Amino acid sequence: MTARLIERRIRWSGRLIAAGLIVQMLTLLATHPLAFICFALVGCPLVGAGILIFLYSLVEHEAV
Amino acid sequence: MMGGTTTILIVFTAMVALLGLLTSMRPEFTAARGGKIMAFVALCILPVVSIWAGFHEQVERSTSTQFCLSCHVMDKFGKSLTVDDKSFIPAAHFQNNFVPRDHACFTCHTDYTMFGDYKAKWRGVHHVMVQYFGTIPKPEDIKLYTPYNNRECLHCHAGARSYEEASSHHKTPDMLAKAASNELSCTSSGCHDIVHNVGDLGDATFWTPKAEPK
Repeated sequence: MTARLIERRIRWSGRLIAAGLIVQMLTLLATHPLAFICFALVGCPLVGAGILIFLYSLVEHEAV
Repeated sequence: MMGGTTTILIVFTAMVALLGLLTSMRPEFTAARGGKIMAFVALCILPVVSIWAGFHEQVERSTSTQFCLSCHVMDKFGKSLTVDDKSFIPAAHFQNNFVPRDHACFTCHTDYTMFGDYKAKWRGVHHVMVQYFGTIPKPEDIKLYTPYNNRECLHCHAGARSYEEASSHHKTPDMLAKAASNELSCTSSGCHDIVHNVGDLGDATFWTPKAEPK
């Protein structure tokens, strides 16, 4: 049960990180304030959330 | 046109994104020790490196003239760089390469202090927010937050012969000292007081830069 939960979190973590990095890639195609805003308000939070979910899954696994 | 750094960064980001996706497709391999280490690299270390590099690139781009002038409200400020009148300080600097043309705005509008670049960028973030989520002022109503500090001028001009020996800078014996201490403003003491003056561009003629040789 715990292993499945960890796997599910890792799955979400990977998806969020990939989505955030794809946003980052797209924003690098243009030099424009909108690209900067997308990077800062969409790309960074997605990657940050992915990393946090992954780290949380590690910490929780250790605690169990 | 995309530069080499941007291309490398895009390829690197794509690889990290792919690695993240692959890890999310096969999370069961993290049960093994090697899988755990790989997942930590793929889902923590590499994304942090990628975001840090992306942030650095975005901040670097935000110092470019192209970036500043992409907002419509900045059009007239951009035009003021090409006014055919050397009494316009920004025009004289831009047209004579006193500032790098591709970073013209940032060169004069950053603070030359320890955290000046970050402060300038923080102000820039505020401007971008106003552009997309706020009420955009008229170009004529855009003013500096604080009076222009001579420090920014003297970052380049201090020590230059053309500055130190100009007769106009020796009208009084302590003129240079007062300018250095910011007691006598370069831009608002009646000397170099024509800056962007976007309200006066109606009758102006403009200089067109020649295409750069390839």
